[in-house]
Amino acid sequence: MRACQYCRYANREGFFFCEDCGQPISSEAPAESPTKQIDQSLEHYEWRTSYGTTHFQAGAMIMLHVLDYPTPIVVRPIEQVIIGRKDTDNRLPPDIDLSPYGAAEKGVSRVHAAILRTEEALVLIDKGSANGTHLNGQRLIPQQPRVLRDGDEIRLGRLVAHIYFTT
Amino acid sequence: MSVDFDPYAILGVSPDASEEDIRDSYRRAARRLHPDTNQDNPGAAVQFAEITAAYNLLLNYTERIAYNQEVKQRPQDPLAFSLRVTPSKRNLFPLTESQVVYMLAEILPDPRAEAAQEEIRLQTHLNLTLVLDKSNSMNGKRIERVQVAAHKIIDQLSPQDILSVVAFNDHAEVVIPATTVMDKPGLKARIAMLKAFGGTEMFRGLSAGVEENKKYLAPRLVNHVILVTDGNTYGDQEKCLALAQKATQEGISISAMGLGDEWNDKFLDQLASITGGASDYIKTSRSVVRFLDEHVRSLSNGFVDRLSLSVAPDIGVRLESAFKLMPNPQSLSIEEGLIPLGNLQINRITSILLQFELPANMREGYQAIARMVASGDILSSDQQRFQCLSDISLGVTRTPQTDETPPAILDALGRLTLYRMQERAQEALEEGNFVEATSRLEKLATRLFQLGEGSLAEQVRQDAKQVAFTQTLSAKGRKNIKYQTRYLLGGTAVMDEHEEDA
Repeated sequence: MRACQYCRYANREGFFFCEDCGQPISSEAPAESPTKQIDQSLEHYEWRTSYGTTHFQAGAMIMLHVLDYPTPIVVRPIEQVIIGRKDTDNRLPPDIDLSPYGAAEKGVSRVHAAILRTEEALVLIDKGSANGTHLNGQRLIPQQPRVLRDGDEIRLGRLVAHIYFTT
Repeated sequence: MSVDFDPYAILGVSPDASEEDIRDSYRRAARRLHPDTNQDNPGAAVQFAEITAAYNLLLNYTERIAYNQEVKQRPQDPLAFSLRVTPSKRNLFPLTESQVVYMLAEILPDPRAEAAQEEIRLQTHLNLTLVLDKSNSMNGKRIERVQVAAHKIIDQLSPQDILSVVAFNDHAEVVIPATTVMDKPGLKARIAMLKAFGGTEMFRGLSAGVEENKKYLAPRLVNHVILVTDGNTYGDQEKCLALAQKATQEGISISAMGLGDEWNDKFLDQLASITGGASDYIKTSRSVVRFLDEHVRSLSNGFVDRLSLSVAPDIGVRLESAFKLMPNPQSLSIEEGLIPLGNLQINRITSILLQFELPANMREGYQAIARMVASGDILSSDQQRFQCLSDISLGVTRTPQTDETPPAILDALGRLTLYRMQERAQEALEEGNFVEATSRLEKLATRLFQLGEGSLAEQVRQDAKQVAFTQTLSAKGRKNIKYQTRYLLGGTAVMDEHEEDA
């Protein structure tokens, strides 16, 4: 068996491309930087309760405030906003690229989480990230959507950000 | 007497070989191919029957003399084709687990054929049957464009070609019984009278079409049925597949053209694949004319027809899959001993990528992998069942030289991986596993983007979003991904016009 250096899928000997992600399999070191693994046992975060509204008005924008960075990221809520880290140039960049916010250091995956827009609300989904996604201190189960409220705290790996709905 | 194969080539002996040589050669081949040691190996069964027939012929003195006499009367050095097999690795490392090896099998037309192409084309005649869907859904633009396409085909055919046309809805109607293409305006007029109404019962149309084709069935003709449909057939798919299987054995190939988005792509692909024919997705009725015109042109450009490949893996080796890369990329069925490949064109290679699984703990030295035989009828010379044999074995060593993977294999595999990823995404979709389908589509989009297929990557990304949200993907979206990734394999994408049906 030979593990794919991109997605860790165990391929049979003799394969030239990963059966799962389609990337070439080689014995050389991967060209992209793997997501940094974070020792979760040292982390401690308080649970918090949020009281913001879940109602997301038509025409509203998502404002993402990364902790310790003064300028927030504002995005128009398309059907699906991918949050992650841009790596090498040959990949599709995520809709919200956190690499200028120390994403690599804080263990953010290339495709970490996504915000989906439903009828009148937003939901957060962990996209199978290496270090997990927390919503208000609670860890999300990968691929399971959770409704977002105005003012929620999200944590991607060790990167903390707050989400606000702006009109 | 007439023999439809070359017994010397099939046993790998020279025409002046002694009886002893022939016995020896037969024993060696029979040990490898004998049914007792080759269960579940249809390729070996086909080849065993061939070598036994060859052996029986050559050891019968009178039959051998008669065969030699007959060969002498054939034209000297006729045009032929050859089989070239390239493995992904020449030297293997013995592992304690099984490993995969790929073989690129290329069937090449005679290099002299291109210079003689005018002459060959004059000698290549079609026995063509059009089976046209005239169900209610074809009403309007679709049937009109199909009529124009049929007219263009009639223009293209020569008076020596044979044409028949069957139209079907709930019933089959023989619009043009099999005839030589002499009275072109008369034939066109009959097609112009077609009206679309009723349901879709494909088996009726297909079986009437095959019957018409059989009237002039001949080994020197390109016997071909083209099915054009825009809908699903219900309850008679199995019957259609059985019919196609039988048609192949009789020397008829079937191509299937799906128009619009409602037809069953899996079924039509399979129908065409078991006969060696092509299948295609015609997005809009505007492109019908061009698709059909090109298809008939590729038939007239044939050098060899009823081309097939039999693969007999050696003991411990398993043939896992076969995929035709060129022309008309498609998955090939390996369940039957013979893999039908349709026609070989004058100036185009037919190439197939085969995936084998090799056993664990191979001994150092040489490992026999497989025996492959390509056979086909050469249209320009009376040579029927011309055959080429390739026997493949690879070195097994603990100190393998680092050999470069042939770029052609690497390139083909990269593209085939995309097609397989798409297949797995569609499977997940069918099973209702939307999370997996989404993630597979996203991975496919990433990979397509890396390979510079930006617009297709963007399409797939949108489709991934659609699946994540609505838990469905339109028939159009599904077909788009499938056929676009398939076109990548051929390298020559037939660009479809984007205008929609009115």
